Amino acid sequence: MKTRSIEKVTPPGSPHFVGDGFRVHNFIPGTSTMKRMDPFIMMDYNSKFNFPPTDTPKGVGVHPHRGFETVTIAYKGRVEHGDSAGGGGIIGEGDVQWMTAASGVLHKEFHETEWSKKGGEFQMVQLWVNLPAKDKMSPPKYQAIPNHEMLNIALPNNAGEIEVIAGAYEGKKGPASTFSPINMYNVKLNKGGKTQLSFPVHYTTALVMIEGDAIINESTDALQDHFVMFGNDGESFAIEAKSDAIILVLSGEPLNEPIAAQGPFVMNTREELMEAFQDFNTGKFGYLEA
Amino acid sequence: MNLPNFKKYLIEKGGLSEEEYYQVNSLIQTKKVQQNEFLLKEGSICSHFFFVEHGVLRFYALNDQGKENILQFATENWILSDRGSIFYKEPSNYNIDAIEDTLTVMLDEHFINAVAKVNPNFRKQNEILLQNHIRHLYRRISLLLGASAKVRYLDFVKTYPDIMLRVPQWMIASYLGVTPESLSRVRKALTNEDFKS
Repeated sequence: MKTRSIEKVTPPGSPHFVGDGFRVHNFIPGTSTMKRMDPFIMMDYNSKFNFPPTDTPKGVGVHPHRGFETVTIAYKGRVEHGDSAGGGGIIGEGDVQWMTAASGVLHKEFHETEWSKKGGEFQMVQLWVNLPAKDKMSPPKYQAIPNHEMLNIALPNNAGEIEVIAGAYEGKKGPASTFSPINMYNVKLNKGGKTQLSFPVHYTTALVMIEGDAIINESTDALQDHFVMFGNDGESFAIEAKSDAIILVLSGEPLNEPIAAQGPFVMNTREELMEAFQDFNTGKFGYLEA
Repeated sequence: MNLPNFKKYLIEKGGLSEEEYYQVNSLIQTKKVQQNEFLLKEGSICSHFFFVEHGVLRFYALNDQGKENILQFATENWILSDRGSIFYKEPSNYNIDAIEDTLTVMLDEHFINAVAKVNPNFRKQNEILLQNHIRHLYRRISLLLGASAKVRYLDFVKTYPDIMLRVPQWMIASYLGVTPESLSRVRKALTNEDFKS
């Protein structure tokens, strides 16, 4: 099997706030383009940040989405969310919220009230996964994936474990269902632990270094909070942890469909985009109390 | 500086060729303003038209009680200014500030003359812009005088499709001349209507 080379390692850029609750570095499309990252269209990474205690939870108020899925992976802190399709709940540490906005939802997300009162370290990834054209206007749905439902696979030689969120690792499937082939894992390695991962050559493949440092393909340093983008010249790559590490692995088959994106809508044509604004403005996304 | 929107504007609306654009390129003046920063303050003389390359601006007056009345918003590709203050060189009664961090191209008589020299069509475009502005104001006055909050709201989102996602609701209520509560009622009522019928 041929080695997949590293295209680029990107340090976290200057952070910006989404609402007042998410202090994020944008990796997608910031480090590349939506087309290159297909089917991943947006990723904001909230590196560890300490929020002081407050009685007024911070977050993002009511906003719409159409045409894709939002995936929130909580590493530190707790988020409370609700949407106009009736979904809602709390995403705790280690949990994943996989929301299929599809034809459209209004949603809001805030730090959990009780967590906000104490404050503390907050670390999260929010990823937008594009939907195939045929599924963009399907009904919204919601998958809450608590940490205990994830598939955990121990690696040989006490190297660590792989937590499968979506897709499969060595034929064993993770809990999230997807509309196009996507693999999403948390690779948790002990210091010195090694593993080898392999995905079809044409899959868009990247890593987010959530915790600790590692060496990729025995030659390239990947430091904490960095983003690693792979090329499409091979299938497999090797990770060796220099310290205890958590690495988010993303690998998805490109949809290869046209993208028309503006604000919170990602469609295939300009007309569909205008229709999304019109539908939102005229109340077709429903109603959600602020 | 890379100004894709302004370049497109001069070429598509102003009728300039790519080559003519590069002839006037060096005369382009830009100004970046951060959220809440002013481009025009009441009492000063407005010296420029502001083309929005990216961001959102608003144009508003303060009444006797200090309440803001928003006359206009400007998002990408809009031009905002106090035309009266520029033309008559008199102190403005209005304010222009940024709702988002905004990059503007500052247009003045000097720049307009320079572009018109390169391509006389540009003067015609400015005439069209003025007529369009007057037509927009007539429509706005007539809606404010005679239309329901719902009709005003629907007309507004047609003019500014993405603004509901970029501007606080109270500012939109101010533009529409309704209370924030009544804007919220209009929006809630719309969700219950069947638009297909």
